[in-house]
Amino acid sequence: MNRALVFHIAKHFWLNTFRSKAIYPIMIIVGLIVAFAAYSGWKSYATHNHIRTHYQQVARESWEANPDKHPHRMAHYGSFAFRLKHALSVFDFGLESFTGNAVFLEAHKQNSVNFSEASFSTGLLRFGEISMAMILQIILPLVIFFLGFVSVAVEREHGTLKIILSQGAGWKEILIGKSVGLMGLAFLFFIPVALVILLLLFLATEGGLTADIWLRYAGILISYLLFFLIISIITVLISAVSKSSKDALIKLLALWLFFFILLPRTTQALGSYFYASPSKAEFESVVEKELIKTGDSHNPDDPHYKHLKDSVLLAHQVNSVEELPFNYSGFVMREGEKLSSRIYNDHLNDLLETYRKQNSFTRITALINPYVAVKNVSMAISGTDFESYIDFQRQAEDYRYQLAQQMNELQMELISNKAPAPGEKPHTISRDHWKQLPDFKHRYISISSTLRSELWSIIALLGWSIATVGGIIYLSKKAKAI
Amino acid sequence: MYLLIIKQFIRSKAVILTTILILVLGLISIFIGNQFLVKQEKAIAEVTRHQQEHIERNVSWIDSDMGLLLYYLRFALINTPDNLTALSIGQRDVNSGIQSVTIRTLEGQKYDTDLNNPTNLQSGNLDFGFVIIYLFPLLVIAFTYDLLSEEKEKGTWRLVAIQSQSVRGYLIKKLSVRAALLYLALFVLFAIAILKLSLPINEVLMAFMALSILYLTFWLALSFWIVSLQRNSSFNLLTLLSLWVALAILLPASVNNFVANQYPVPEALSTMVKQRDGYHEKWDMEQEVTMNKFFAHYPEYQKYPLPEGNFSWLWYYAMQQMGDDESRQQSEAMRKKIMQRERASSAVALFVPTMHTQLIFHDLARSSLDDHLKFLDQTSAFHEKMRLYFYPKIFENASISDVDWKQFKPEYFADKPDINWARSMFPLLLFIIGFALWSIINLKKLKVT
Repeated sequence: MNRALVFHIAKHFWLNTFRSKAIYPIMIIVGLIVAFAAYSGWKSYATHNHIRTHYQQVARESWEANPDKHPHRMAHYGSFAFRLKHALSVFDFGLESFTGNAVFLEAHKQNSVNFSEASFSTGLLRFGEISMAMILQIILPLVIFFLGFVSVAVEREHGTLKIILSQGAGWKEILIGKSVGLMGLAFLFFIPVALVILLLLFLATEGGLTADIWLRYAGILISYLLFFLIISIITVLISAVSKSSKDALIKLLALWLFFFILLPRTTQALGSYFYASPSKAEFESVVEKELIKTGDSHNPDDPHYKHLKDSVLLAHQVNSVEELPFNYSGFVMREGEKLSSRIYNDHLNDLLETYRKQNSFTRITALINPYVAVKNVSMAISGTDFESYIDFQRQAEDYRYQLAQQMNELQMELISNKAPAPGEKPHTISRDHWKQLPDFKHRYISISSTLRSELWSIIALLGWSIATVGGIIYLSKKAKAI
Repeated sequence: MYLLIIKQFIRSKAVILTTILILVLGLISIFIGNQFLVKQEKAIAEVTRHQQEHIERNVSWIDSDMGLLLYYLRFALINTPDNLTALSIGQRDVNSGIQSVTIRTLEGQKYDTDLNNPTNLQSGNLDFGFVIIYLFPLLVIAFTYDLLSEEKEKGTWRLVAIQSQSVRGYLIKKLSVRAALLYLALFVLFAIAILKLSLPINEVLMAFMALSILYLTFWLALSFWIVSLQRNSSFNLLTLLSLWVALAILLPASVNNFVANQYPVPEALSTMVKQRDGYHEKWDMEQEVTMNKFFAHYPEYQKYPLPEGNFSWLWYYAMQQMGDDESRQQSEAMRKKIMQRERASSAVALFVPTMHTQLIFHDLARSSLDDHLKFLDQTSAFHEKMRLYFYPKIFENASISDVDWKQFKPEYFADKPDINWARSMFPLLLFIIGFALWSIINLKKLKVT
């Protein structure tokens, strides 16, 4: 391979592109959209994290401000978990707008995570959102197609292809040269975006870029680099095998529509068709049914709790619950919470497994669709993917369980077993105990565990890079000049 | 002449292939809409069955304490989907159409979401609305972008110019053949949808169809305008696809971002915290504080004396009531904020046909945010009705067996969409007329070479 020639061809392609002037309006438009995307990503991150941190604090203050009272009152008073946006969500919104943001945590009951952005949105949300990631994933490939469809085809149309070939350049040099040139054009768009992301990350973390953030940033750079490599080479290859540049353009646009717009939606629809998920009404009634079967602490004649009582009395060698060394109803509630949480979580895990299966249809198409691959990897790195959301839900549920059980323990330990006599004050414990329960703190899922779930997409990106480079070598041997 | 144009047009493999593709996708979308209705019906059946069982069970366990029984009982209100909703599912997948509430504080229950796979929500429904708004324009572009340039590039244009009396007439004939096939495809799909989804033939359906036709015509006019600029095929294709990207992706998404950032809804979170505190604080206050506020809200209950002791259901439900009463301000502020979003979106949409069509589709199919807000309002009314029915029974500790529990079946809410024909159709009509006239003017200067 003649490097000087490759460089020459790449440079020539650059100059030609700039001479045609079409690139200037494209640059201006893309620049404006990127600016807008950066602004709205930043604004949404700053606003929402501010609001959520504020209310997490408000909720905590009112929790701690509670006077002396019965611990079970506090278990019902409950707390809240607000989901924080990851710093990288300024770049990739991922599922952010469709996932709930706030959940009320109380004893006995797993509440839904409410107030997703989607629930406040008009139908416009369904057109999508403008994030920097979306521009890199959907718009920039289209720009690459626009700039690159002529790359080889136009030389063929003008008859210059034969001249280049006769001047000593082989097909290999032409294809590599054009690909390098086109990739260079793509980087002309990508590099400023990468710098903007870095700037926003600095702002979002208030200058404290941790190793984790740097790692994620590097991950983003590498994934998109590979993605643009793939897209650029595909463009050049298609331009090379097309009879005319119009022909190349039609093929590329058809590919874009099919792989970027139609296929992801269709596979997702297929996924939810083949793996039907229950509505909330169905889900709750199944959970309730199982709970009643296993043991319902509300049922006065429930066999499970009757048995439990007998065995506790036996173990402590006493005749009635009043003689037990701990508060019996606290004990029953602790058991009840354990049982109901286990049943609920089992069903929830089944449900999440169904969702994963629904998503698997689209996920597997990453192998044939680099767009899906880069989209999944990007979301995972940015902490805005499905697994990140599930992780928040799990943290909130863990905290709820801890809250409820800590209050039950306090009740067992500190509340008298005898009900207060009429006219007597209700049992209470000191408010100092409230502070002992740590506040809820949303921790982001580690990058290694999110990436593990996107293994297919990573393989796909690497595989596609190798395959497209292989495509150049293959085509260099097969291509004809006419 | 016409016959020749038709023959030439449908002989093209690309035309046949893309037409088949859109028909297949249209069928899939109708099928998906049907699935949505089936799923809704299943959920409604489940709620109905569950409510009956749930009431029966609790009534059998709790036979003498009305206050305790009503702590548990849940009553459902259902936002019945129209069959037309299947054509444009809109926000129906995000916002639950079923509310199942106890008579305790409503603000803590009202906003509970349905269980959803967020990835499905993000990907969006491949419903018929999607096919019309996104895919039909692509077909329009594919059929028309080289209407004129093709002839020039193939060298047939001179021939046409010599043979036909009016070259402009010839182009319009060519366009009309393409338009006819597109309208035909649309009608076939509508006919299938009407049969498959048993859509009632009424004004709403007519509005939906009329809007679809106008929307398609808008794209034909836009395409024809680009054709009338008399540039080459690649330029036309590039420009039209860029316009499609701008109208179907970039503009609506930008407006959505803007609206979301302009009107954040912290009121949702403040409502959430306030309704909890409004109720729970009362446990630590003198009972009179709560009772005074409660009696101020409902003077008719003053006749019930507050029972002695640490606890009574009268006091308990008065405290629960305070959760709603004291978070009312926040809750109303939230509602107002959401209305602002709705208004801002539809105002901007008047200038962008894709957005406008989408929002009107949602209005007609009752799958809009506005429809959900109405459902939430109705939920409040329903909740209040149940409260007022049971409050006296609880305060008197009426006999549980005296109540006919079988009467409590889920109730239904179905709002009639009000059709504003002028507002719905005018924006599109103006665009169509504008582009059509402009094209005609451009074509006056039709170059033969």
